[in-house]
Amino acid sequence: MSPWHDNFTPPCPPAPTPSGQGECVINASSPPAVELHGITKRFPGVVANKDIAITVRKGTVHALIGENGAGKSTLMKILYGMQKPDEGTIAVDGEQVTFSSPGDAIARGIGMVHQHFMLADNLTVLENVVLGGEKLYGIGAKARKKIKEISDAYGLGVRPDALVEDLGVADRQRVEILKVLYRGAKILILDEPTAVLVPQEVDALFDNLRELKSEGLTVIFISHKLGEVLKVADDITVIRRGTTVGTADPKTATTKQLAELMVGSELPSPETRESTVTDVPMIQVQGLTLTEAGAAAAAPLTTAAPADPAAAVTVHEEPIAGRRLLDDISLTIHKGEILGIAGVEGNGQTELIEALMGMNSPDAGVISLDGEDISTVSVRKRREGGIGYIPEDRHRHGLLLEAPLWENRILGHVTEAPNSKRGILDPKAARKDTERIVREYDVRTPGIDVTAASLSGGNQQKLIVGREMSHNPKFLIAAHPTRGVDVGAQAQIWDAIRDARRAGLAVLLISADLDELIGLSDTLRVMYRGKLVAEADPATITPEQLGSAMTGAATGQLEGTEQSEDGDAR
Amino acid sequence: MGLTAAALALSATACGKSSTGSSSSSSAASGSAVKAAIAYDIGGRGDQSFNDAAFAGLQKAEKELGVKGAEAEPSQGESDADKVARLTSLARAGNNPVIGVGFSYAPAIAKVAKQFPKTTFGLIDDTSVTAPNIANLVFNEEQGSYLAGVVAAKASKTGTVGFIGGVEVPLIKKFEAGYTQGVKDTNPKAKVLTQYLTQPPNFDGFSKPDLGKAAAEGQLDKGADVIYAAAGLAGSGAIEAASAAGKWAIGVDSDQYKQAGLASYKNQILTSVTKDVSGSVFNLIKSVKDGKPQTGEIRYGLATNGVGLADSNPAFVKMTDVTAAVEKAKKDIVDGKITVKTAP
Amino acid sequence: MMKIDKDKLIIGAAGPVLALVSSFVLTVLVLLATGLDPIEPIRLMIDNAGYSDVQVLIVNYTGILYLAALGVAIGFRMNLFNIGVEGQYRLAAMVSALVGAAVDLPGPLHILVIVLVAIATGALWAGIAGILKTTRGVSEVVSTIMLNAITTSLVAWLILPKNFGVQPAGSNDLTTGQIPESGWFPGIDMGEGGQIYGFTFVALALGVVYWFVINRTRFGFDLRATGESESAAQASGVDAKKMIITAMLISGGLAGLAGMPILLGESHTYSLAFPVGVGFTAITVALLGRNHPVGILFAALLFAFLEKASSSLDIAGYPKEITQIMQGIIVIAVVVSYELVRRYGTRRQQQKVGEELAAGGAIKTDKEVSA
Repeated sequence: MSPWHDNFTPPCPPAPTPSGQGECVINASSPPAVELHGITKRFPGVVANKDIAITVRKGTVHALIGENGAGKSTLMKILYGMQKPDEGTIAVDGEQVTFSSPGDAIARGIGMVHQHFMLADNLTVLENVVLGGEKLYGIGAKARKKIKEISDAYGLGVRPDALVEDLGVADRQRVEILKVLYRGAKILILDEPTAVLVPQEVDALFDNLRELKSEGLTVIFISHKLGEVLKVADDITVIRRGTTVGTADPKTATTKQLAELMVGSELPSPETRESTVTDVPMIQVQGLTLTEAGAAAAAPLTTAAPADPAAAVTVHEEPIAGRRLLDDISLTIHKGEILGIAGVEGNGQTELIEALMGMNSPDAGVISLDGEDISTVSVRKRREGGIGYIPEDRHRHGLLLEAPLWENRILGHVTEAPNSKRGILDPKAARKDTERIVREYDVRTPGIDVTAASLSGGNQQKLIVGREMSHNPKFLIAAHPTRGVDVGAQAQIWDAIRDARRAGLAVLLISADLDELIGLSDTLRVMYRGKLVAEADPATITPEQLGSAMTGAATGQLEGTEQSEDGDAR
Repeated sequence: MGLTAAALALSATACGKSSTGSSSSSSAASGSAVKAAIAYDIGGRGDQSFNDAAFAGLQKAEKELGVKGAEAEPSQGESDADKVARLTSLARAGNNPVIGVGFSYAPAIAKVAKQFPKTTFGLIDDTSVTAPNIANLVFNEEQGSYLAGVVAAKASKTGTVGFIGGVEVPLIKKFEAGYTQGVKDTNPKAKVLTQYLTQPPNFDGFSKPDLGKAAAEGQLDKGADVIYAAAGLAGSGAIEAASAAGKWAIGVDSDQYKQAGLASYKNQILTSVTKDVSGSVFNLIKSVKDGKPQTGEIRYGLATNGVGLADSNPAFVKMTDVTAAVEKAKKDIVDGKITVKTAP
Repeated sequence: MMKIDKDKLIIGAAGPVLALVSSFVLTVLVLLATGLDPIEPIRLMIDNAGYSDVQVLIVNYTGILYLAALGVAIGFRMNLFNIGVEGQYRLAAMVSALVGAAVDLPGPLHILVIVLVAIATGALWAGIAGILKTTRGVSEVVSTIMLNAITTSLVAWLILPKNFGVQPAGSNDLTTGQIPESGWFPGIDMGEGGQIYGFTFVALALGVVYWFVINRTRFGFDLRATGESESAAQASGVDAKKMIITAMLISGGLAGLAGMPILLGESHTYSLAFPVGVGFTAITVALLGRNHPVGILFAALLFAFLEKASSSLDIAGYPKEITQIMQGIIVIAVVVSYELVRRYGTRRQQQKVGEELAAGGAIKTDKEVSA
């Protein structure tokens, strides 16, 4: 295994930054920006950090990779002062430190950009940046000047007076980065920064990171997307099961090698082999329209879809009272077909799912399942009628976290066998069936009486998949079915979906993971601002092309040609 | 039904042993050391009204008659069964008489009186239950209030006077009825503003001065310049408000001019409608001690000075036309020329 | 899995025990601070509870609290906070007393009518809050508090002699008239101790029904699911609005029943002296009993004990308000300790699952993935 260094000898290159800092350094060469040694965190739950050692050189982008649940986030929380390690030492710029709060970390020049942005929508960029940092440069002209300065220095292109709610995801992320820099951070931690971005935006982010690096800042980049890591990182540290298992040189390593190190086995592929698509429609949606609540009556609901889909995009530029969350959606999924929907989150996917499940009531449109109109049928009747549902947020919509597994097995199917008979629950049968699901879907648990909360994300998801599959659905809604799931579970979930498809199931797949979408789907549609704006053939499409369409830059039938780049169309 | 059995067992284990001890009770009227007890109404001792007046009667009996007194307070939200238990334990302990302060003791006294035929039970403000060993101590509050109405109508310059009732119960309605009639009979054109502070079972209207104050301020704003508050402790708030505005207040139950807590407002307390609860308690105890226990309805009215008007404020005594009108009205009521209504 | 079950039991009991012990200690401190002997009143209360008449009072009050607390608990199980139990209880007692006095039917039928009227009145009154919540988004906390206030005025108005009330001759009380003897629920005579209300046993039976409905029916599952995660319940097919209204109706119905032991077993009329405050005490009882029928029974018994065994403390020269202090502290201690125990329990279970999985304790699965 040539690319791996098995022992950790800090490389210590010549310091790229001018020695303006007042710190006295013993070594002739500059010490590493961050050095973690023997970090151990006995954390109640599934994964703990165990004897972690990482050395981050100054002025580099250091990637920290590992599966979900490998312990990356815990480690970063320790570094950012949100949690205290049980053992081990942290050194920043060669000096040993202990952090008892993020404030301590910030004072040491460590800043964190969280996966979920922490911005106030109704404030401007300037206001968001100075919020909580009023003492630094005030809140007026001086602060604006400083923001401009930082923005220009690192090419962030942030406009201080823009309202955050008008900004796209990528812009918001840049505001978050600026916020951290504004507070004097020299070491930036970015937690899965690309998870919310389309490929073009990812590239722009990487340009920003390189800019930061060239200015002497240090970036710690957490990710599990290996291609990206290889593109941007100078050093890579791999974490598995809570401990550092190796480092890699991005110049020589391949994604395959990284993946093997990450999971200890080969990466599964979402690829679907032979087509099982039939010509029997299972679910048909016609003209589904949902207007944002509050101004529902103001917008005419019967506007015919423009013939040219490109024109549809411009329609939205006009001010419409009552934004359309779903705009004249029509689609058909046949038996044995997986229809994938690509799109940046927040473009109507959630609303589409809820409309199909019966959780919201659309203003117009017809939904039929297996030839039967179910447009006005209740959620429960739809589920009984054969709709399976893997929700995008399993904690909010798929589980009762404090309830035991066997009760979670009943959830959503309380009226169906084996869970109940004539209104009376049958706990014995439900428990027995839960044991079967645990067995067949490889849910790792010591028993079915433990609460759902005590399982890892992947095992929770497998339980949900097992539950939904146990009622022989005709139509399965799978929203981000493998989000936050470890690689092993991912493969099993994909297998389950493929098996069901072979058995004639129609599947609506919504995912932010474009590889998953392209790999599993028989048909691809792109959703943008509540509309299905483009169609693509998963056999020929590339993630980049799909990414373009997701920003609204391309519409219609996507072909194998390159699309123009549009980083932040939202 | 296992729980049922457990509940039964719980009671069964102690069967025959009751909190009051059964045989140990000494014969009630043993002459030498009379023990008397009062069971308070909601609010208990310290309400500056009714319960305190009863306590004053007991104290007086302790001092003058050498009686040994006992008291018991109710709990919030108790039922008749709790009152029965309380009265029973007081009676078993050899207290005679046992006095229930307030009409809510009526059903309980009806039960307990049967079990203790040799004990005299006093029941204040109620005549609905009767027995040879029950003395119903009742008052003609409406007559005293009528006189207050006469005073208010005479003393008012604006022709608008106020009535504040603590809680909207029939007892307080008697106050209102007498007062209103007294005002109207004296000055048919006068206007009476009436307000109740709370409704049962919310008895805050007898205990929260801030409620009385707010109500009085409202009436003052509407031009009232004499305010009669029949609201227990809450009435002191009304007195405070009237005093602050330089208007007249009329107190209730005891002579509030003399109350230490109201000393700073006393100049504006024109008079008070007194209700001699303490005297009635004392009289009952005395009658038992003397071996001639009262029984049946014992009515305290104007004729017997069981109710009346206080004249300790010199300002009131100086208003000779007012006092003259009061005297006349009092005579008319005693003589039966005026019949005062008991309900508005 | 015996180990985890035993853990669950210990953790389940830890909350109430922690709450009770800390409230006991705090009460002792309060007594010490006021210069009173802290042990003597407690000894007196325990002594008192040895007497048969106090025991009967305790048992009877337990039944009343139990009914009201079941009403509160069913709301709690789905995160509905029905503070209006007090108002529902009073209005139902009043209306059913009116109806009971107005009709004259053969025994069991008469009782049945009164009980049904009480259930319906309580349910309708609580249902108003349910409808306001589902159609207008009004928090049930706010609306039930308002309804309590309205109840006071409404009952005060209804009971006026010019409306439906009766003022017995010579009394300053107002009542709804006497229910004929056919509408009296027979009790169990305990001799000197008095009578245990027959309806107390109905209350206990309803505890069993409560358990069955919550734990063994689809409806109960939906209710619990809604309480644990409204979003998940909705996604699972629970009609949240229907659920809210149904739960409020049941909650109000049980609250309405809380007035029955006294009405049918003792007072046979609703008067100004009808006990108040039951609905508020019941909230604490339900909290302390963790919304579990057995837990609530013990909590009700404890509160009845505190209430009744302390009633003669003042004769011995101790303020009986110490029980109110104790009850107040229990409320706070319950909230704090349950949250502490819940967090500890979650952490502990996660840890246990982690450990057991690490030790290879997982259920054997079909597919074993290479590590």
